[in-house]
Amino acid sequence: MNFFKPFLLLALFSTPAFSQDETKLESEPVAATQQQSQAEEQAVTAVETVKAPTALQWLQRLTHSMRTLNFDTSFVVVRNNRAEPYRWLHGISNEQELELITLLNGPRKEAIRLGDTVSYFESDKSPYSVRSNSIRAPIPAALFGDIEKLQATYNFIGVGKSRILGRPAQLVRLESKDKQRFGYWLWLDIESGLLLKVAVISRAGELLEQIQFTHLMITEQSNDLLQQLTTAALPEPLSGNTMEVELPWQVNWLPAGFELIKSSKRNIQKVDAEVETLMFNDGLVDVSVYVLASDEAPRKATVNQTGATVLLSTLRDGYEITVVGKIPAQTANSIAESISFN
Amino acid sequence: MSENKFEAISALLDDNNVEQSLLNEVKDDDKLGDTWSRYHLIGDIMRGDSADFINTELANDIAVAIAAEPTVLAPVSRPTITQRAKAKVIQLVKPVGQFAIAASAAGLMVLGVQQANVSDEGQIVPAQVWQPLPIGGIADPVSYNYSTQKNVPNQKQAYIEHQQRLQALLSDHNMQIKLQSDVTPESDDGIPDPLSENHE
Repeated sequence: MNFFKPFLLLALFSTPAFSQDETKLESEPVAATQQQSQAEEQAVTAVETVKAPTALQWLQRLTHSMRTLNFDTSFVVVRNNRAEPYRWLHGISNEQELELITLLNGPRKEAIRLGDTVSYFESDKSPYSVRSNSIRAPIPAALFGDIEKLQATYNFIGVGKSRILGRPAQLVRLESKDKQRFGYWLWLDIESGLLLKVAVISRAGELLEQIQFTHLMITEQSNDLLQQLTTAALPEPLSGNTMEVELPWQVNWLPAGFELIKSSKRNIQKVDAEVETLMFNDGLVDVSVYVLASDEAPRKATVNQTGATVLLSTLRDGYEITVVGKIPAQTANSIAESISFN
Repeated sequence: MSENKFEAISALLDDNNVEQSLLNEVKDDDKLGDTWSRYHLIGDIMRGDSADFINTELANDIAVAIAAEPTVLAPVSRPTITQRAKAKVIQLVKPVGQFAIAASAAGLMVLGVQQANVSDEGQIVPAQVWQPLPIGGIADPVSYNYSTQKNVPNQKQAYIEHQQRLQALLSDHNMQIKLQSDVTPESDDGIPDPLSENHE
């Protein structure tokens, strides 16, 4: 067994050659011009638009489809060299949305949604429920909600068509209006409007993280498995999480569009001292700032990155500052540097 | 060791003319035993089915040594970090069973950052910087490990603790994302139906 360990690590740490893959994707629509006219015809019949729908309409259709269709689908989340497979069921029963996302490899991790209540079952925590009308991960929750709000910080660009999961797909890009965020590329099923692929792309065009769907089945009736969920005993929803605390420090700079979600003081497992934290959201991306008193020597910023998630840590003025989120390291650094202590 | 005993072993391999006394001798004498297995190995390789004979012992020893000493491959720690480094890191908080892997990975994570700092070239590819073996062809990795173990400074320990803290904060961040409650009165006004809009 020990013999394999170093190689396992080697495999984990080597970076995949995603960029090549990406250039292929880019060139695909050009190569498939003949198919394109066919695909366009299908698009017209599917959406019944007079002319090609705009990128915003595609995204609105995505939200609508994800809320109203009965579907059974699987997808794989790829970060660095790791792939996590999930199954995702969604259905409507008695005018209530039922949803199940389950991690297929390793320890059990499941999220169940009945209408406005999401229950999470994870092997390392006791089950808990949250009042929410979307399961928060791994599909970005913003796609289920108010897409139009994202127009403040992202440009929506309809790029072209390609073939994903054996189906004609429309590529829509969410490009940040400033240089402070990553871009999100969404490939949408032309027939149903559902997601077929999501990619998080850096400013330099590097593919950081992707969700590739591997199977999609749309049905008239919702899955029986979902029906059984309605009778399951689920934990009571946690009470509101708006614990507002005055903290002795401020974040003085954030990219436009980020709003404070919550502030709190907490004890976190494996961290000895009490941690003070602020969480921000720009409609699509969550960023957390953690501040922890420390007696260590000042330390310049170091960055760790998993997929699109950046972990920036620096130590100054007797505080260890950590910024976490799916933002470029530069942005995280600017946020960390803007913090002032009272 | 007489030549004719080796010949006898060779003969033993080639046909089934077994002498009990020779078998006993092979069993009791290490050198003859080695010869016996070596001849078999030669035969297996010539027949092309030698896969089972790849000796994993040396590799195992190295692997055990590396697993036991995750930090020894790191260069001497430098107090000033001259260059901001990006290290690609895998999420480490995983079930308890994989704790050993997580611990050694934490050490390697540190290494990735530090080695990147050592190089002055603009291109930093930390994921590939890590090498499983010491550079420069050190013959005996085990003694190499033990000689450097004494020099591992407290700073290394602090780095590993720091990385573990970062992992804890990362999982807290992911947890807080899930804890967000978006059910507010404003968001109850339903999802616009783009299909109906398109009919306009």
